[in-house]
Amino acid sequence: MTGGPEPEDALILCYCTMLTVGELRRACAAGGWPLPGKENTGRLCTGCLGDFLYCQSRFERLPRETGGVIS
Amino acid sequence: MSNSVSALLSATFYEPGYEHLVELVHQRDPEARRRLSSLDLSAYGPDGKLLLEHALDTRDETLDLGALLAPTTRGHGRVMAVFDARYEEDAFPYRPHHYAYVHRTGSATPALYYAVSAALGGVPDRIGDMSRLNNFDTYVFRRGPHAARYSVMLGNVGRFAPTEAQVFAYYGAERVEETVFLGPRAHAEVALAPERGGQPLTRVETKSLFRLAGYVVGRREPSGDLVLFDHLFTFFK
Repeated sequence: MTGGPEPEDALILCYCTMLTVGELRRACAAGGWPLPGKENTGRLCTGCLGDFLYCQSRFERLPRETGGVIS
Repeated sequence: MSNSVSALLSATFYEPGYEHLVELVHQRDPEARRRLSSLDLSAYGPDGKLLLEHALDTRDETLDLGALLAPTTRGHGRVMAVFDARYEEDAFPYRPHHYAYVHRTGSATPALYYAVSAALGGVPDRIGDMSRLNNFDTYVFRRGPHAARYSVMLGNVGRFAPTEAQVFAYYGAERVEETVFLGPRAHAEVALAPERGGQPLTRVETKSLFRLAGYVVGRREPSGDLVLFDHLFTFFK
């Protein structure tokens, strides 16, 4: 599930918590997921759950250099 | 006004040959016009291929979806139209709603008016109890003949993840199941037999890992004109 397209950081991943792909990427790289206030990502409208799991799986397995900043 | 911007992604299906007008904001208070911060439209073929991207002018109150999509979508049949909105929480304490009017061009079949299905967002924490699931949807058909052909249109609004959706049709005590695979931004129409073993179609349910854009559709024979186009309803409510 991690061989697909590379998600762009600016994309809003969760339309309920307004989590962006970049925020999730940086949090995963720093071991800081879930971010405060974003704990309900994927659990509200549930529409982003597939994309969230795709991104989380990708970022936890393939961490990218981000400077370790959690925004 | 606050700087808190929320997001909502809604989707509908467009077929050539129909007038299809979308209210960008369904106004209940005409004396206080509300506008979205931004609204982008994109359209996808059944395989999820991007056919069109278009930034809409939020000062417009109505979008002629048919006029915009007809030239691009010729040859694709059904197209999924995705509305990606940003809005101020102060302007829309709940969420904005798009309503739409659809009518077969030149047909005597009455027009349909429906709420565009919200698939992503629009239900942030501030609305209250969000413990219910909303990736199980249902639709109860009215008794008596209504349309000659029924179906469910399902669209995956996910950008990366594919999914499987199960469609359950109920005929008396009998349940018929069909599974449909949907890649990112792909969509399908699942036909539902109007009766089975002498029992009429009474209910349909859809189930998926995450929320999809979905509509129940009825068509008249032999013209195929739409006589039912309605979103499904959350199963647990």
